Amino acid sequence: MLKNSRILILIFLISISFTVTCVASDNITKINDLIEKSASLNNTVITMQGEVIGEALERGEYAWINVNDTTNAIGIWVKQSDVDRIRFYGDYKHKGDIVKVTGVFYKSCPEHGGDVDIHSTHIDIVETGHEVTEEISHTKVLVTAVLFIIMLILFRLFRHKNK
Amino acid sequence: MDNLKVRFLNLKIICYYTGCIIIGIALLMVIPLVTSLVSSEWNPVLDFLISIAITTIAGLLLLIIGRETRENKIFVQWKHGFIVAALSWIILMVLSAIPYKLSGHNNSLLDSCFDVMSGFTTTGLVLTQDLDHISLGLNMWRHILTFVGGQGMVVLALSFLVKENSGAYKLYVGEAKDIGLVPNVKGTARIIWKISMVYLIAGTSALWINGMLIGLEPIPAFFHGLFMFASSWSTGGFAPNTQNIMYYHSFSYEIVTLVFFLLGSLNFGIHYTIWQGNKKEIIKNIETQSFMITVFLSSVFLVIALSKIYPDSISVFRRIVYNVLSAHTTTGLGNIYARQFALEWGDFGILIMIIAMLIGGSACSTAGGFKGLRVGVIFKSIVSDVRKLLSSERNMRIYKYHHIKDYVLEDGAVKSSALIIICYIVTFTIGTALGTYYGYSFVDSAFEAASVTGNVGLSIGVTSMSMPSVMKVYYIIVMYLGRLEFLSVFALIGYLLGGIKRLCLKIRES
Repeated sequence: MLKNSRILILIFLISISFTVTCVASDNITKINDLIEKSASLNNTVITMQGEVIGEALERGEYAWINVNDTTNAIGIWVKQSDVDRIRFYGDYKHKGDIVKVTGVFYKSCPEHGGDVDIHSTHIDIVETGHEVTEEISHTKVLVTAVLFIIMLILFRLFRHKNK
Repeated sequence: MDNLKVRFLNLKIICYYTGCIIIGIALLMVIPLVTSLVSSEWNPVLDFLISIAITTIAGLLLLIIGRETRENKIFVQWKHGFIVAALSWIILMVLSAIPYKLSGHNNSLLDSCFDVMSGFTTTGLVLTQDLDHISLGLNMWRHILTFVGGQGMVVLALSFLVKENSGAYKLYVGEAKDIGLVPNVKGTARIIWKISMVYLIAGTSALWINGMLIGLEPIPAFFHGLFMFASSWSTGGFAPNTQNIMYYHSFSYEIVTLVFFLLGSLNFGIHYTIWQGNKKEIIKNIETQSFMITVFLSSVFLVIALSKIYPDSISVFRRIVYNVLSAHTTTGLGNIYARQFALEWGDFGILIMIIAMLIGGSACSTAGGFKGLRVGVIFKSIVSDVRKLLSSERNMRIYKYHHIKDYVLEDGAVKSSALIIICYIVTFTIGTALGTYYGYSFVDSAFEAASVTGNVGLSIGVTSMSMPSVMKVYYIIVMYLGRLEFLSVFALIGYLLGGIKRLCLKIRES
């Protein structure tokens, strides 16, 4: 009986610690918090989530991607094989893929000239990006037309006065 | 009656030249319009069409009011030059802010005006939100503003739009550019543009190639190269992405920008003299001597104080020396996050940065600050005064300084240099006080105030969308004052106050 209860307690403790670990690794840190707490988080494994922006900057077997989490943007050092999984990069015409990055945070990276960066160990594509369709404002079209008519009238007046 | 006629004539002269400059900006808006058209960005196309129309209407109205100036070739006085320069900057700030506001990336017209003034004055502080998703056209506009602002909008108008040569010098000086490269001021303005265009081609090409080598696709690499050149050469500090220069993760890219912002911070007179073959000028000139000494001292102090933070010498160069040079040349490109200055650099580091930002680059360059020339003149006058005290009363010595040519160190030059430095320090002090009043720490307030006063653009985190409106307005005024070096703005204020006073007297009499 005692032996069974000890096993049960052990299983309980292991499952608790496993849950805590899972929660901890799922704990997403914002970029501005990384910078504010850079001294304590330096050289530790963190998880962040945000939109991939711009484009990938390929450097051999690795590449830089820049990720914006709305508080700020940061460079992530990733394997080329991970980059290949990213479909959309955010810009005016695109909403970039949302990625969840787990990796080592450096407040002044010894490998990259003191850069503030994250060396990725794992990347998940949380949400695939898409093309952004522009909605043209009819008010803007109307205002443009009216303003150009006024401009042309003034231009004629200016030419006339200058003759 | 005669007095009234003279006043109307003054107004017409001011309207005419301001109208010319506004038309110049309307023409410049065609570049981002074409960029957006080519990139199929339809909303920005409409934004720029609306902006072009409003700007042209404003310009034409002023030209119609002031047409007598052209017809009768009226003589332009000093006051007109100063007022036109100061007034056009204010009107252009509002007109150039229209595409920003229409883009939806700014919360208010005040924020848009802030960013435009930041661009025009080559400061580089940003309130525009979500830079990573703005259109190519708007990015082009941001960088055109900073490029044109660096060379001077009046200089641009003089080069291409104003036919009359009489009085042009007064407009030119009004924009804090008082160097005559050739006897004809229109020729001088054109030389300034030629120098900038040659560097534009060289700089954009260098950054384009570098961009492709660090992993950018050819077309984006071209635009990044063009934007980063415009930003570096004009000592502006804007960048197409949120992370500024950190977006590229490249030492070589940083080095190329460093070369161009150092060149941009040199006096156009020095560029021209070197182009003429006089290479020794760069060593003999009091301005470059002063600049080299202060750059060297600030870099050495910071490297000694902060080298423990960074793991190796390359990191020290990239994170400390690059940022010191960026601050001293008033560029504002930063490869560390704003908050890192406050969190890692400490009070001593921030103090040195504040001094470097306030000193700034060269007079008649794209740089801000109270300028190396004035620091050199003041330093030389202190040395000469000490020498006079130590030497015999019979011994009369004339002290000289070299700036393109030799000048006798006269009290007038020392006084005007000291006056401008005092003006800068007063605006910096008020800016610091205002920051502390609104609850920012003294160090943060002082850093940001120095950055704004010197038209630098580095931030410690104070400048943000949530910053109080009073501070935004004050920063706009300070950027404007700093760029025009006070005199033109004082002339405009004097003119306006004079007008109000006369109006009040007239009302009282009636």
